[in-house]
Order: sequence, then structure tokens, then C-alpha cells
Amino acid sequence: MREYQQQYLKNLEQVTALSATSEDLMLDAAAFLRVRQEKHDRIGVLVEEDTALLRKNLFPLLDDIITASDDDIQSLDEFAAALVPGSRDVMLAYHIHNALIVYARHHTLRDMLIRELYNTAMDLFYLDSLINTTDPYRYSWKMLMLFGEAASYIKVYDEIEDPEIRGYIHRSMGNLALGHHARTQKDGEKKLEVIRRSLQILNDPVYRQKTPSLPWDTYIYKSHQERTTALNFLRRGLASASAVREVMESAEYVWEHNLEASRRRGQPVSTRWHATYYTAQYHCGVLTLRQFLTRLEELYMGRDPSDYSDEGVYCNFFLPAIYAGYVQEEDHYRTAKKEVIGHMYRMLLRYVQGVAPDQMTFFFVRNLMNTFITFIEYPDGIQQRDYLLQLVVCRTPEAFIYLQMTACVARILVTRIITDRPELLVGVCGCSDTDDVRATREELAQLAYDCGMFHNIGQLNFMRMTSMAGRHWFKEEQELFQYHVKIGADILKRCESTRQFASAAEGHHFYYDTLGGYPQDYDPREHDDQIMVDIVGIAAYFVRLLDNTIDYTKKPLTMEEALEKVKEKSGTRFSPQLVSIFCETENELREYLKDGKLSACELALKYLKNEDAEN
Amino acid sequence: MKKLENYSTAWGAVELPVIVLEHTGDGYRPVYENSAAAALCDASGGCLMDCIPEEIRTRLLGDGPCPAEGELPFFCLLAGGAYSLVPFSWDGCRVCMLHEVTAYYNENQRILNEAIMANKAKTSFLSEMSHDIRTPMGAIIGMTDIALMQEDIPARVKECLNKIKVASGHMMSLLNEVLDMSRIESGRILLQEEDVDLADLLHEVLTVIRPQADAGGLHFSLKLEQMAEERLRGDSVRLRQIFINLLSNAVKFTPEGGGIDMILSVVPTGEPNRVMMNLRVRDNGIGMSQEFLQRIFMAFEREEKSTTSKIQGTGLGMAITKNLVELMGGTITVESQLHEGSCFTVEIPFTASPDLEERHRQALAGKRLLLFDDNPGQTQLICSMLDRLGIAADVAADAESAVELLNDMSFSDEEYFALLTVEKVKGVEMLLFLPQVRQRMGADFPILLLSENDWSQMEYVYTRAGVDAFIPLPLFRTRLSAGLYAFTDEAKRAVQEAGNGQRWNFRGKRILLAEDNEINREIAIELLGMANLQIETVENGREAVDRFAETSPDYYDMILMDIQMPVMNGLEATRAIRALDCADAQDIPIVAMTANAFVEDVRNSLDAGMNAHIAKPLDMNQVYSTLDFFLGRGGR
Repeated sequence: MREYQQQYLKNLEQVTALSATSEDLMLDAAAFLRVRQEKHDRIGVLVEEDTALLRKNLFPLLDDIITASDDDIQSLDEFAAALVPGSRDVMLAYHIHNALIVYARHHTLRDMLIRELYNTAMDLFYLDSLINTTDPYRYSWKMLMLFGEAASYIKVYDEIEDPEIRGYIHRSMGNLALGHHARTQKDGEKKLEVIRRSLQILNDPVYRQKTPSLPWDTYIYKSHQERTTALNFLRRGLASASAVREVMESAEYVWEHNLEASRRRGQPVSTRWHATYYTAQYHCGVLTLRQFLTRLEELYMGRDPSDYSDEGVYCNFFLPAIYAGYVQEEDHYRTAKKEVIGHMYRMLLRYVQGVAPDQMTFFFVRNLMNTFITFIEYPDGIQQRDYLLQLVVCRTPEAFIYLQMTACVARILVTRIITDRPELLVGVCGCSDTDDVRATREELAQLAYDCGMFHNIGQLNFMRMTSMAGRHWFKEEQELFQYHVKIGADILKRCESTRQFASAAEGHHFYYDTLGGYPQDYDPREHDDQIMVDIVGIAAYFVRLLDNTIDYTKKPLTMEEALEKVKEKSGTRFSPQLVSIFCETENELREYLKDGKLSACELALKYLKNEDAEN
Repeated sequence: MKKLENYSTAWGAVELPVIVLEHTGDGYRPVYENSAAAALCDASGGCLMDCIPEEIRTRLLGDGPCPAEGELPFFCLLAGGAYSLVPFSWDGCRVCMLHEVTAYYNENQRILNEAIMANKAKTSFLSEMSHDIRTPMGAIIGMTDIALMQEDIPARVKECLNKIKVASGHMMSLLNEVLDMSRIESGRILLQEEDVDLADLLHEVLTVIRPQADAGGLHFSLKLEQMAEERLRGDSVRLRQIFINLLSNAVKFTPEGGGIDMILSVVPTGEPNRVMMNLRVRDNGIGMSQEFLQRIFMAFEREEKSTTSKIQGTGLGMAITKNLVELMGGTITVESQLHEGSCFTVEIPFTASPDLEERHRQALAGKRLLLFDDNPGQTQLICSMLDRLGIAADVAADAESAVELLNDMSFSDEEYFALLTVEKVKGVEMLLFLPQVRQRMGADFPILLLSENDWSQMEYVYTRAGVDAFIPLPLFRTRLSAGLYAFTDEAKRAVQEAGNGQRWNFRGKRILLAEDNEINREIAIELLGMANLQIETVENGREAVDRFAETSPDYYDMILMDIQMPVMNGLEATRAIRALDCADAQDIPIVAMTANAFVEDVRNSLDAGMNAHIAKPLDMNQVYSTLDFFLGRGGR
């Protein structure tokens, strides 16, 4: 690797270390903010340094990739390979791998092309995991294209001498299945078809004889493992009898394989594979839903509530999420299992509260976010609003500070509107006229606060990108990040207690003049509470200008400068009417900002220390 | 004889000239004329009936009923005077009584001549005035467009500019109509005889009409019936005008939520190589009264009613249309019911142009292509046309399916001949998808785009994305076959044999290449030289600025600028060039070439005054299409 590449990786490690708050959580709020600001400043320096390293060394090389030397290509390959583990910088790896494809195509280096096609497709697979709950199709066709091209070299298998490259062909052929999320019957069938084709080749003795050194059994095992993920497809009742048989066959294969492996290791089979096996049995009609839920309950009861290893994490929070998903299949169980679900959620909260600060990684938070995909809310049970706050938002104190400040600014603004221009809020919270608005003052203020508090929940999915990017963003990253509004809205829409905040999550980046911002398909006319979206939009923008807690690369502005910026956006990003009212709240804002950030930080730390906190 | 006495008794003493016509079984014949008539006859130098204009004489002598009062009197010029002639029935005969009206006639003639002269003067005045107004109007439209392109225009000013744009565009179309009418009235319109490709024509028409219909909230449907021929001999400009006039008229007079149907067919006439084009434009708009229907094709006629009072126009559109249709030897008819809508039918005979389809069919038969389209109706139509050409098609309605089909094909022994894709498929970012297909399938794989939109507006981005050719929608068989045929080996050979094998040709164009890397300069010179470009090179931004400053205006057609260079980088060099006091310093296209991929890099290039940004490593297709965009069309 070149010196600049090593330096880049070293800086990246530093950024990761500095962005972790775990060491600072025992400080008091003022010290926490001071220390964090110092670390942000250091991160800012590293970000600029890394960006400059790429500009000076990497981009000129990518500029002239066709004429790059063998050593340069070798160093790029190694650098890209080092960027992928732990998702250090997958997007940069993707850029480099793409350039290596260009190089390989230009010089007709077939073997290199096959390898780089595979690597690039794998980069996309990792990026896909960030957004596939909301948009499963953004990268799937690209993955299929790249894996497909690499796999198509099976036609000239005999001409390829390097066993490693032959391995890439087989892996690409098997990984074609990764491009199918099996959300529709057609896609599910296609997924099974590509796995079937891959398995046929993997089981063909001719290929084994040609390349005996390849890990054939691992390839076969991985293919069966992938086929069991087609459970999603079975779940929708879309699969044919032969598809059911194939999935069951793979589930049995994987189960046997794990049994054997665990026997060899002298350890029990992991809970994950137990659960997967039961799930397959349920979908294939071997178990009834009642039996299946009982099996999952048994697995859950066997967990260790103080185990924070992968197995512990699976048992303590993935299993409840899976269980909740299946409980919703029949209304009867939704009611019958209410107490079980309630218990699991209480235990989960306790489990998360017990996690050591250094284990609260961005992976952990993202996994927590994913559990909300199946969250069940009962009117008299745990509310998603509280759960989100206690389980996720407060686990990331810096995000919490930003959200809390936004919520308070939104509350200041809505309070002023209630006093001066109540007619603007008619229609919100069922207010039919201005008298209603005045009478509903508290409820409206609370709604503005909550919308501010939850508007950016989707951003937690992109913590790695926002907190640890270690360099300026690429355009593709900017586009990926825009999914946060949809991801947040999707979660909030699911439950009664958070549904009212979904519009603010979805529309807070959309422009008042409808000519800018995102998401593009957002239509303000479809949202009765658009005024709340606008209020949160302006509050969030204002807070981000003042505070760089979640964006280290920006220099915080003074309040006067921030207000000027808001005014500049009047008529484009924000409603002129709202900007005018917002500017009239200058005194209240000034008063709040005296210690607003400190209060927000105190609240965040209280939550983290599991002390009761009131909004 | 007795009859003659009767005639004489009855009419002999009358001072006015009288002729009596007797019925003969199959008509009337003159049997008596009184002395006044005889005198007039002598003065005329022959039989009086023979001196009456033939049109009147035929009516008088024919077996039909006596001309009705409303048609009378007839006028004729006899013996140097003007006479009115009134026929009436009398005693089983037809009597024609003449009355000298010379003074009256002359007076009327004078008034008529004055009116004709006044009309000509009006037409001439309107024509000249229109022409004189058109010139500054062109400037107003152009300058408004330029103003609208400026950044950071205050919202209110932008709103005003948009209104100026709409109003001036409307005024321009009114002026054009006045000019056309004056040309028609003065007989100055001559029809061209050229090949008219109905596919192109319809595509152009729809490019204009669809946005109008969309803006008006109208449902627009096009139905193509039998298309016996798709290439005709005629005047494409005037034919387009007929189509657009009829459709614009329908758009104008159909309220929001209404519908317009356009039905087109070309049918054989029975004569070799002759066809009849039939166009129907039907709307369910406000319709016309029966009284107005009589005057619809007259110049400056507009029906006055509350629903039309807000609709602007000269009232010339339909008159121009009728005149053009008739000049082409066709007919136009209209049916309409008030409040229910109207249907205009145009029939024009044409000679068919020579058809190349059979040759295309032979070259294309047996091939297989990938069709990327998520509109089932359209897909079916395209597949049936492809089937007629002997081409098999696999259809993909989403990106995943398209890639799967490419993958499946790559695992088999077959290969696709081409990708035929529409511009928009739900959920697919085509400008990301197509470049991936291009990379995967290589430079020689044809990618053809089907679109209703104006290709000139899309060409730049789509050729950069890897598209080789464009086929307009609505789809015509001949266009499809010609579009695909161009990529067959046979067609490529033919092009090579004709000496035009070079796909890109920028002969006569000179560019300045600023690039510090020697190998890159060599590669660029070699590759750009293949497209016949003259290339001059410099090694840094400072040299680029100096070289540009010391050459005469318009010496270079374009600058390709690397960003990272020693001494002065590309951004600084661009700013310096734009700040120069040379005639073309502001206008010369400057295109960045860089692998700097950050969001701000593209913005910085544009902020520095560059016109475009080409990513490195260089994709020559992208480079050529960028050059083509800035160096003018026709280079290909």
C-alpha cells in the first residue's frame, strides 16, 4: 500500500475512535459538550486531511487509471480491500473497484475484470443493506449486472487457469441471488432459479475435477443458506409447491450442517439456526403457527440477558422482533400474545440499557432500528414513541442533542404562531377555528416538540456515514443519505403513537416552492398538517446552522448569521410567512439558546444513565 | 301561330326587352322576343340568348324549375350595357325580362373594385406589419429566454418573465398566421415536393401538442389505423401545419378534463403508388353552432359566445388549413354539435415514396433483441412490428428483469442484437442504467432509445449515457426497421463503402487541450485526431490562458481543460479566460476533464465558468458526444 493510503486508513481509525462517545459519557453535561467539541474539531481536521490525501494522490491516479503502473494497480487493489471490512469506507472502495474495472476492460485483462466485477458487486451489496428496507431496488439491478457479467465467464471456464478466478466465477454465480430480495413472486422465483443454477454447477463433478482446490462445500452451504432466506417469499404465500420443497431442502441442509459443526466444536447449535429452521418448518407446513411461536418462545427463554455477544444480541433483540412479526400474522395471536410481547419489549429495554457504552456501535443502533419494522403497539402497552426515544434516540447522545434543540425551537415557533397567527394552525390536531387553536395550545406545542424530536429518526440508519465518513461526501452518498426521510417516515407511520410525526420526518427537507429539496415524490397537498412539517423544517435548518454536532465539517454560525441564512431561503425553501414569524421570535430563541444545548445534553445523559427524564 | 299572337299581344308593347321560352319536353327554347329585345339583339350582333353568359343560359334553358327569387336577378353584359334578367313562369312558358342597369352596375363595380383594392391593401399592410413586428418580437422572445436562464432571479421577476414568454409566444403565432394568410391570398405559397416521413412528422407534431394538451388537463389519444405507406411525397412543413392547426384548435376549444382523439390512416386508392391520407381530429369540447359551421373556413371568422370570448386567436387558422388542404388536392370537412364537440376530417391524396423495408427485413430476420418497456400496450405493438421484421424480442419491464435477461443470454449460446429501450421505466434511473449496459455489453452493442420527446433536447445526455440512436414515438414500422437496420453488418458495410465509416467527424474544428500529463496528451491527440479534429496542446493553465489570449477571436472552437495542472490549475485558468477582454472569451466552450468525484468538484468547475464536466477515465463516446454538443450538430 502507498503511504497516503496507510495514512488515510490511520486517519479513518482515528475518526472512528473520536466519534465514539463512550469514553465521555461519565462527564457532566458541560464537560461532555466541551470534550465533544474538541473531538469534533479534531475530526474536522482529519476529514480535511483525508480529503486532501485523496485529491492529491488518489484522484490523479484514477484520472489516468489507464496508464497506471502495475504497482499502482496493486496498491489500489490492496487499499480498496482494506476499506471494506467493518464498513470503513465502502463507497470509496466502490469508486476504486469501478476504476479497476475500467482498467481491466481497457487492457483486456480478463481475470482482473472478473475479480473486480465481483468486488464491485459486493461493495454494492454492503451499500444496499443501508437502504433496502425502504428501496430494495436501487442497487439490486447493478449487483445483478456485475455478478452476472463475472458469472458469464463460466462459458470460457477452461480458458481460465487461475483457480482463484474460477472461484470468483462460482461465487458470482451464487451471489446473483443477493440481487433478488424475493418481495414478489417473480423475484422470489428468480432467486430460486439462480440458486438452482448455481447449485447444479457446484454439484457437477466435472467442475470439481477441474478445480479441486476450491472450497466447494462452503460454496454449496452458502447457496443453501441463501435459499433459506427465500422464507420471505414463502411467507407471502406466493411460492409454488416445488419452491417450498427447495427451501425446505436447503433449511434441512443448513440445519444438518450446523448440527454437525456444533457436534465437532462441542457447542450447541446457535439460536439463529434454530430459529431459521423452525421458520422454514412453519412456512413449509411442518409446524403450525401456534407450534412455531411456542418454539420461538422456548428459544427466547433460553437466552442469557447479560450476553452481548452476537448470539446474545440475536436472542435478546432479533428474536423478539421476529416473534412480533409472526404474531401479527393472525389477529388472534396479536391479542393472545400481548403479555409475551410486552414482556419481551420490557426485557429488551433493560437489555439495551445494560449495554456497555463501547458496545453501542453504529451497527448496534442500526440493528435496533430494524427491530421497529415489526413493532407491535397496544393502546395500553409500551408506546412506540417512548420506546424509540428510550431505546434508540437517547443511545446516540449527539443526535439526541440536535433533535431536542430542534424540538424546542419548533415549540417556540408554534407557540408564537398560536398567539399571533392562529389561523395558520386550523386543521391541525382537529382544530376547526382559531378559538380551537388557542384552546389546544398545549397539545399543539407538544406536537411541534414531538415532530422535532422524531423528524430525523431515519438518520440514525446512516450514523456511520454522518459521524465517521472521514472525508467529504461523494454525490452518491448524498443521494443515499436522502433516504433517511423515507426510512424515518416508514417507521413512524407504523404505529398510532408516532403516526402524527411521519409527515415531518418525510417532508422536512422539501422546499416550500416545491422546486427543491427531497424526496421528489413528496406532495405537500397530501399532508393536512403541512404547517407542522414547515415548522420543523425551519427549526431543523436553523439548529443545524448553529450547531455542528452532527456535521463536523460545517462551521457553526452565530444566531444573527443563522437568522440571515433563514431569511435568504424565504420564498424558496421556507414560506415567507413562516420566516417572518420565525424572525419575530428572535428574543425567545436567544433566551432559549443561552443554555438550550446544555439542557439538551443533560437530558441526553440522564436518559443514557437510565434516569427518568421529562420532556 | 296562335301562340305567337298571344305572345305578341301580351309582350309586344312592353318597353323592356322580353324573351319567351317554350317547353320542349327536355328543356326550353326561345320562341319569341319583343321589339325591345330584338333591338338589343341587333346591337349585340346575334341571337340574344347566345349573348347571355353560358352559366345563366344553361339554367334558363334547362328542364329544372324556374330559378327562385332568392337567386335573382341574373346580371349580364349585353351590347355594351349591363342588364338584369328576371325569368318567371307564364302560361306554361318561361318569360325572361331584361332591364338595363348600367349605371347601377358601374357604381357597384366601382365599389367592389375599391373593396378589393382595400382588401389587398389590408392584406399587404397586415403582411408587412406582421413582418415588421415579428423581427422585434423574435428579440423579445430570445431575450426573455436569456433572462430566464439567469440564476437567482427574484421570484416576482421570474413570474413576470414567464408571463412575457407566454404572451410573446402567443403573439408570434398570431403574426405567423396573418403572414400565412396573406401569402395564401396573394398566391405566394408554393408547395414543396419532398419525402415526408410520417413517423418524423407525427413525432414533431406530438412534441408540440402533447404539452399543450397536458397543460390544459386534456386526455389526448392517438390511434393509427391502416398505414399502407409511411413515407409520402409532399410538403412536410405545410402538412405539419395542417396537423398542428387542427390539433391546437381542438386543444383551444376543449375545456379541462375533456378529450381529443387523433386518428390517422393511409389507405391505398387503387391506383399504383397512390394513397389517401385520412386524418380525423375529434374533440368533446364546446362545439359550434350550425350557423357558424357555414363560416368556419372563412378568414377572420370566430364564433362569438361566452365560452370562446377568452380564447385568443386571429380566426385565420381554419382558413389557412382549408387553403393548404385544397392546395394539396385534398378536402376538409367538419361535423359539430354545440356543447358536444367537433370532428374535422382531412383527406389528402399522396404519391408514396419508395419503400426500403423489404431490404431491411432481409437483413434483420432471425435476430433477437431486448425490449425494455413497462407499457404493456406499447410493448405488444412493438413486438408485433418486430415480428413482421422477423425479429424476436424478450421484454423486460424493470431493471432487474432486463439485467436477468442479459445474464441469461450471456449464459447461453445466443446473443442480443440490440437493446431497444423507452425513455422512462417506472423505478429506473435510465441515465444510470444505460451506461452500465453499455459497459457490460461493450461499445459495439446497439442501444436504441424510443421517445416521444424532442431528440435534440435529449441527445446530449443520452448519447453520454451510451445510446447510439433514437427512434421517435409513436412508432412506425419503417422507422423501426430503418433504425435497427443501421446496425446490421450490411448497413455498416454500405456506410464504409460509401467512405463514411467514421462515426464522428469534426473536420475543420480546432480545440485547445490543456493537459500536463504527456501520455494523456498523446492519447488524446490520437483519439481526437481520429475524429479529424485539429488539436493544439498546452501543458498548464497559464499557457492555456496565454495561448487563448494571443490567438484571434474564434480561432479555437473549444477548450478541453484538465483540472489539476502545475503553475495554474484548470479552474483558475478558466476564470482567467472568462475575464479576458476578447470577443469570444465569454462564449468559448470550456469542458473540464477530471476524476475529482466530490459533489463540490462538479459545482466548482461550473462556478469557475466551465460549460461541462467529463469524468476520467475518459469514455470516448462521452467525449465525442460532448464535442458534438458544443461544436454543433452535423459533425457526426
